[in-house]
Amino acid sequence: MSAVIPRHRVNVLTGFKSARLIEDASEYANLIKKARRPLLVVGPLLLKSLPDGKLPLEYALDIAKAAKIPICATAQTRGKIVELGVQPDCVYDTVEIVNALKDPDWRGVKKEGNHDLVMFFGIRSDLGNQGLSTLKHFAPHLKTMTMCKHYFPHASYSLPNFKKDVNWQEFLENLIANLKKGD
Amino acid sequence: MAVAEKKLSRKLEEIYERIKAEIPWEPVGPTPMPEIPDLRNWDMRLLKTYAPFYAPFCDLCCFCTYGKCDLTGGQRGACGIDIAAQQARIVLLACLMGCSAHAAHGAHILEHLIEKHGPDKKIDLGGSIEIEAPHIRTVLGLKPETLGDLQTALEYVFKEIGHLLDSCHTGQEGSALDYESKALHAGMLDHVGMEAADIAQIVGFNFPTSTADTPLVEMGWGAIDKSKPTILVSGHNPATSTEVIDYLREHNLEDKVEVAGVCCTALETTRYSDKAKIVGPLSRQLFFMRAGIADVIMTDEQCIRTDTPQEATKVGSVVVACLDKAMYGLEDATEMDVDNIVRRMVDNGEHFAILDSEKAAEVAVKVAIELAPKRRKEWLTENEAMELAKKCNDCGMCEQVCPNLCSIGEGITELAKGNFEPIRELFNQCIGCGKCEEVCPRDVAIFKLMQVAAGNETWKARAGRGPIMDTEIRTVGAPITLGTIPGVVAIVGCSNFPDIDDVADMVDEFAKRKYIVVLSGCSAMVAGMKKDADGKTVYEKYSPNFEAGGVVNVGSCVANSHITGAAIKIANIFAALPLRGNYEVMADYVLNRVGAVGVAWGAMSQKAASIATGCNRLGIPVVLGPHSSKYRRLYLSRKEEDDWKVMDARKKEIVDTGEPSPEHLAYVCETKEKAMPVIAKLCIRKNDTPQGRAIKLNHYISLYKKYIGGGLPEDLHLFVRRDADIPLVYKKEVRAHLEKIGWQPKEPVGLPTLIGTYPSKVPLDAVIH
Repeated sequence: MSAVIPRHRVNVLTGFKSARLIEDASEYANLIKKARRPLLVVGPLLLKSLPDGKLPLEYALDIAKAAKIPICATAQTRGKIVELGVQPDCVYDTVEIVNALKDPDWRGVKKEGNHDLVMFFGIRSDLGNQGLSTLKHFAPHLKTMTMCKHYFPHASYSLPNFKKDVNWQEFLENLIANLKKGD
Repeated sequence: MAVAEKKLSRKLEEIYERIKAEIPWEPVGPTPMPEIPDLRNWDMRLLKTYAPFYAPFCDLCCFCTYGKCDLTGGQRGACGIDIAAQQARIVLLACLMGCSAHAAHGAHILEHLIEKHGPDKKIDLGGSIEIEAPHIRTVLGLKPETLGDLQTALEYVFKEIGHLLDSCHTGQEGSALDYESKALHAGMLDHVGMEAADIAQIVGFNFPTSTADTPLVEMGWGAIDKSKPTILVSGHNPATSTEVIDYLREHNLEDKVEVAGVCCTALETTRYSDKAKIVGPLSRQLFFMRAGIADVIMTDEQCIRTDTPQEATKVGSVVVACLDKAMYGLEDATEMDVDNIVRRMVDNGEHFAILDSEKAAEVAVKVAIELAPKRRKEWLTENEAMELAKKCNDCGMCEQVCPNLCSIGEGITELAKGNFEPIRELFNQCIGCGKCEEVCPRDVAIFKLMQVAAGNETWKARAGRGPIMDTEIRTVGAPITLGTIPGVVAIVGCSNFPDIDDVADMVDEFAKRKYIVVLSGCSAMVAGMKKDADGKTVYEKYSPNFEAGGVVNVGSCVANSHITGAAIKIANIFAALPLRGNYEVMADYVLNRVGAVGVAWGAMSQKAASIATGCNRLGIPVVLGPHSSKYRRLYLSRKEEDDWKVMDARKKEIVDTGEPSPEHLAYVCETKEKAMPVIAKLCIRKNDTPQGRAIKLNHYISLYKKYIGGGLPEDLHLFVRRDADIPLVYKKEVRAHLEKIGWQPKEPVGLPTLIGTYPSKVPLDAVIH
């Protein structure tokens, strides 16, 4: 059932402008493909192995490779990314990259202009949500998206809360497959 | 025009009278007792480089009856406010709450001590401290000689708080930057209030001063003899806990009754008696209360649980609320007969507010002695814990409400199988809020289960020692400003840590590298809650002196003023710059030449917001833990894209250094691993000599390689001015990297200052020493 919005909303506003929830990997892939200058911001939660032994960081690197997306390494992720044979395109911490992104005149990681889609992946939810809130309010020139297994309300697009890691992994694998398909 | 000048002159005359300007210990500088606009240009200069970064916690403004107003998408509220100004207003309010808490603490302590000793009681901090109050001297221009003079300082603080709070009213300030300037003003006032409070405590309670080697006190639940009557003192104000100690001493009961503290009252009480014990930081408060070890819980103010009476009732403890800040709706028994109160507490389990410290102390001791034999204090066994844990079906509700995002259910289900390691790890991450237990649909006694994890381990913490001695400043002033002591790392504040072990790890890492490590508050406690392979805590491992490789506990929250005070003392004692009413010169010196950084890894409170903001106005950057993104505002630069111009005061010319040092003023790190190299980097200053810079870069590079990896730091080139700055051990690697990216050498600045780069009353010559 959809929420009922009161006529005089001034008195009862409670929430915020929330992320659009997307469960379909092909829809996510299309959004990424449509972006002209996407950026993948990678966080330290991706360094903790999943129950099946897979490192979530590997999904991030696969996504970046499949869609040719530059990577921003935050926290201590740079070391592991390099160890896996990839050079991140830039190294900032979360608040630093958000600070740069909110400037419409920033030239971006590739010095080709600011990004139009920013994907957060592996940043702890309190810090991630706050960073996304900054972009929601102060960066109307870009959209944001999350790849984590929980819903991030301040993003433009978010995944739902996955109860089981395996379902989330399945989504990520489908996403990668869709990205690999090309246009 | 003439009228305006006359008014200003009369105002200044009044200020001169209050600060006793006729006593010529130093000439009065340009801003004695500054008001909101007086340091605004300094603030705006800082904010030009370190622009406010807002992360709104809420899209709405709910302050007045116009609203609620939706501020998303660039919309303004019905009053005209935008989302940035609203965030800045909330930050200002937080800083005002924090500043008020410390100043009101000071005012209460002063009232208590003046009642005992009179207003003319002399301030004497011992033979090694002549600059007794660097903040009060710098901000007000007053050299406080008596307890009464400290009241003058607090009156000024309260007056300014009134004006600042006024500006938060609907329909006034509309600029985020001006709100930030006001927040910086509140932060500065906070350090004045804290300093007045702690000086009063040192003088009035004979806390340690002019010494570094204070006693090592026992810490942890295991340190408390549960067979004895136990009084828990909780909060920040030692007026009553010191009375408890006095009463026990007078009645020869000190070895018969345990006095244990949580949060800053623990630190204050152990400055008064080394027989008092420290339970732990704020995050252990609810655990300890629910363990039922305390027979009597005495609360005072700040960082005390608002549900203390309810929690006490659950386990048969009784509560004495000792200060008007938190009376919990309890009956005020201040005028009641002691025996009557004791009877009602012992027989009926009633809680009371008693605002007379002596009476509260007498009641607490008498009740604890009578009540203890009637209560059972049993510890959960491992087998009992396993049985209790079997109720959990790992539904995940607890994780959803955990502020530290812990997977509690996983820990409980493992415990049920006899694997205790995960719950022990969780206990280190737990901030002690109790939300998990509140939402558990199966009523699993999570806190009780964690008792098993808490165990009976004991640790040692060094008792707080108060101000850094002038003699120490004379010794370390030169190496700090030259950079050969790579930095002063002040790890301070609350216990909202991602992991409690992070603090001891940080202390150990930087002390080992010969930084000066300074601690206060809950961070000072948890620094001692980890032992090395030899069973030693950092307090047992490192020197207590303010020197390279020293680990110094200054004391409670209000003792934070001694850390920032030490930075001012370096400018005043070592560099011989006058401080009286001379805030801009002091702050400019600290920003450009004192490699100090604050680390508030578990910052939670409004007090932490105001302390950090006060550090920022004084030019000290602060690194915050991940939760602190919820403060809504940081001060960040954009590295090489920002304005790094300084005046070279010797050549009297503006130089574009391109060097982001210090890079940020208020910065959030997501992990300890990231924080380690960032702390080292934020100690870099433009004043570093080549030798000092090479030492600092050596630590920056080696910490980066140790905790992040993947090569050299990506921004290293920004901090290398000449080849001589490159640390010997990395010479080859760094030279090759610099050559590859086309780095060009640049000349270091002889005497860097921001004075002369923005409109200021301070002449450039004022910074030359």
